[in-house]
Amino acid sequence: MIMEHRISLRETLAYGAIGLAVFFTVWSALVLSGVVPHTFLPLPTEIIGRFITLLTHTFAGATLPQHLLASLGRYLEGFLLAAAVGVPLGLLMGWFRWLDDILSPIFDGLRFIAPIAWVPFAALWFGTGFGGPIMIIFAGAFPPCLINAHRGARFVSPSLIEAASMLGTGHLRMIYEVLLPASLPSIVAGLRVSAGLGWQSLVGAELIVAANGIGYMMVQGQANVQTSTVMAGMMSIGLVGFGMDRLLRLAELTIGRRLGQPT
Amino acid sequence: MGFYLRMRRAMVALSTLSALVVAWFVLTTVTGLISSGRFPDPFATWAAMRQLVSPGYAGSTLVVHVVHSLTLVLGGFMLASTLGVSLGLLMGWSRKAEAFINPIFLLLRPIPPLAWIPLAILWLGLGDAAKIMVIVIAAFVPNVINTSTGVRTIEKTVFEASQMLGTPRWRFVGEVLIPASLPAIFTGLRLSLQAAWTTLVAAELVGALAGIGLVLNVAQQDIYPAMILSAMFVVGVLGWLMTLLLGFVERRALAWRTA
Amino acid sequence: MGSISFDNVGKVFGAGAGALVALEGITLTVADKEFVAIVGPSGCGKTTCLRMVAGFERPSSGNISVDGKLIVAPGPDRAVVFQQFALFPWKTVRGNIEMGLRNKNMSLAQRMPLVDAALKLMNLESHANAFPHQLSGGMQQRVAIARAYVLDPAVLLMDEPFGALDAQTRVVMQEELVRLARLNPRTVLFITHSVEEAVYLADRVAIMGRRHGRIKAIVDIKSVRLAEQWDQLERIEDVMEQESFVHLRSSIWKSLREEK
Repeated sequence: MIMEHRISLRETLAYGAIGLAVFFTVWSALVLSGVVPHTFLPLPTEIIGRFITLLTHTFAGATLPQHLLASLGRYLEGFLLAAAVGVPLGLLMGWFRWLDDILSPIFDGLRFIAPIAWVPFAALWFGTGFGGPIMIIFAGAFPPCLINAHRGARFVSPSLIEAASMLGTGHLRMIYEVLLPASLPSIVAGLRVSAGLGWQSLVGAELIVAANGIGYMMVQGQANVQTSTVMAGMMSIGLVGFGMDRLLRLAELTIGRRLGQPT
Repeated sequence: MGFYLRMRRAMVALSTLSALVVAWFVLTTVTGLISSGRFPDPFATWAAMRQLVSPGYAGSTLVVHVVHSLTLVLGGFMLASTLGVSLGLLMGWSRKAEAFINPIFLLLRPIPPLAWIPLAILWLGLGDAAKIMVIVIAAFVPNVINTSTGVRTIEKTVFEASQMLGTPRWRFVGEVLIPASLPAIFTGLRLSLQAAWTTLVAAELVGALAGIGLVLNVAQQDIYPAMILSAMFVVGVLGWLMTLLLGFVERRALAWRTA
Repeated sequence: MGSISFDNVGKVFGAGAGALVALEGITLTVADKEFVAIVGPSGCGKTTCLRMVAGFERPSSGNISVDGKLIVAPGPDRAVVFQQFALFPWKTVRGNIEMGLRNKNMSLAQRMPLVDAALKLMNLESHANAFPHQLSGGMQQRVAIARAYVLDPAVLLMDEPFGALDAQTRVVMQEELVRLARLNPRTVLFITHSVEEAVYLADRVAIMGRRHGRIKAIVDIKSVRLAEQWDQLERIEDVMEQESFVHLRSSIWKSLREEK
C-alpha cells in the first residue's frame, strides 16, 4: 500500500496519547538521569509549579498576571491601531486605482524589513515604556490587515460593483456598503494572521525594549538563570496566543457562515 | 499583465519613490521640520553607510556583518527545511505518524519563535549556536505544515497511476510524492525564509558578537539615527535578495507547472 | 496472454445501516485479446468493476482473476487509462511513458526503442519533450494510452478514457483506438456511458442497469461487425450509418431504459 489509509478516531487519540507520553518521558528522563543539567532544563511539573507560583508572587517587579496584563494592553493598542489604519487603507487602495499605484511600491519596499528591525527607531521616537513596543506590534500586524483588505476589495465580483454603480452608488457608500461587507471574510482572515504576527512582535519588542511585560519577565529570568521562569513565560505566551487564535477563528467561522460562504 | 500596464506601474513606482526621496530631503535638510536627532537627513545617512562599509561599525565592516548574518540564516534555514520537509512528508504520508506527532506539535506551535530567544541564550549563550537554534525553530514549523498539507492534497489518481505502473517505494518518494508536493513545499519555504530572517534579526538585536542585528543594536545605544537607517536598509535589501533568489529557484523547479 | 474473469463478484461500500450495495452477482469473462465494453448510466458500478480488476479496490464477495491468478494489488500487468489522464505533470511526455519501464528495471538501451515505438504509435514524436500542461486534452490522453501500451500489459483497463474530451477530439480518438485494437489486439476492459462508443469499439458489450448493480445482458458485436465488414469503413460516421449498427445501438438503448 503506497499511502496509508485513514485511521479511526480512537486510534488517532491513542497514538496522540503515546506521542505525548513519549515526549514528556524523554524530557523527564533527560533531567532525572542528569544528562541535561537541572539548571538548564527543569521537569515539566516544575514549570507548571513555577507558573502557579508566579501567579501570586512578584518576579521582576510584578506577578505573572500583571506582566501579562501590561503586555496585553500594549498588544491591543498596537493591534487595533494596525487594524484601524490597515483595513480602511486596504479598501481605499482596492477602490482607487491611483492610490494603489502610488502606495504599493512603498509597501513593497517596506515588506522586506523585518518588523523587529524597527526597534531602534521605535525606542528613539516613542520611548521604551509604551509607545515603542506599540510601534513594533503595529509594524508586525499592519501588513496582513492591509494586504487582505486590499485583496478582498480587488476580488469583489465585478457584477456586484456594476449593480451598485447602476443604482448610482457614490464612492464612500461603495466602499462602506459594498466593498467592506463583500471582503469581510478576507479581512477577518487577515486579522487572524496579523493577530499572530503582532503577538510575536510584541514578545520580540519586550525582549529588547520594555521595563515590564511578559517578554521583560523572561529576559530577567534568563539573566538570573531561572530556566523555569523563562519556560513558564513561554507557556503563558503560548496559552494567550492560542486563546486569541481560537477566538478569531470562531469569528472567522461565524462571519463565513452568516455570509453563506463555506469555510 | 500587458506591456503597457507594466510600464505604467513601473513609471508610477519610480515617481513615488523619487517623490519620497525629495520629501525626505525637503523635510530634513532644507526645512529642518524633522530634527536630525529623530530621523537622519540623506547626507548623514550616506555618510553612515560609507562608514559602515569602511572602516566599519560595531566591531567590523559591513561585509563581515552581512556574511555573518547570511551564513547563519541560510544555514539555519537549510537545516530547518531539510528537517521540516522530511517530517511534513512523513506526517502527510502516514496517518499514524501524524496522530503521533500532532499533539506535541500543537503544544509547541503557539509559542512564537521569538519567545525561544531567552531560552536559547540561556542554553547556548550569545554565540552562533543560539541563533541557529531559534532560526531552526522559526523556519521548521511552516515547512512541516505546508509540506504535510501538500501531500494530503495530491490527487488520488496520481497515486493510483504510480501504483499501476509498479513504482517501487523509494522511487515513489523521489519521483511522485516530492514533485507532487513541490508547489506546497515552496510555499512553506517562502514563509520559513521570512520567519528565519525576522528571527535572526531579533536574536542579534537581543545580543550578538557580529551581524546586521548587532549594528542596529549598537546604533540604537549610540543614538545614531543615520546608522539605524543604514542598517535597516541593509536588512531590507538582504531580505529582498533572498526572496528573489528563492523565487528564481522556485520558477526553475516548478517549470513544469501551468504558466 | 490475458483473460479476465469475474466470478459472482459483489461489492458493498460502508458497513451497518449506511452500507451501500454497489455490485451484486457479477459474472463475466473477457477472453484473451477480446475487447469488452461495460456500458451503463453513472453510478451503476461499472467503474468499480474496473477498479477491482486494477487492484485499487477489493471485491466484498466472489473472485476476480487475471489469467487464473487472483488480484491482490495494482500492478503493471493491468495497465489503466484514467478518465482524468493522471499523467505526472512534472515529467515530460517521454518521462511519463518511460516510468513503467524504468520500474521494470529496464536499461536505457532496452527502453529507448520501446518508448520511441509507443511515441510513433500515438503520433507523439514531436512532443516527446513537452510537459503535459503544454498539450491539449486529446494529446494528453494519447500520452496516457502510450504509457499503458508500452508496458505490454496482459490486460488494458480503460475507464471512460474519452469522457473528458470534447466531441470532435473524442471521435478522432475513437477511430485511433479502433485502428490500434485491430493492428495490435489486446485484452481490453472498457468502461463508458456512451452506447455508440461501446458498439463502435467493442467485441462484446455488457449492459449494466442503474439499480441492483447487476449485468442485465451481454450483446455480441464482433460477429455482426465481421459479417457486415465495418472494418472496411474508415470513418466512424460511416459505420454509424450502417443498418446493423443502428439496430444494435437501439436494442442496447432499449435494454438500458427498461428499468423495472
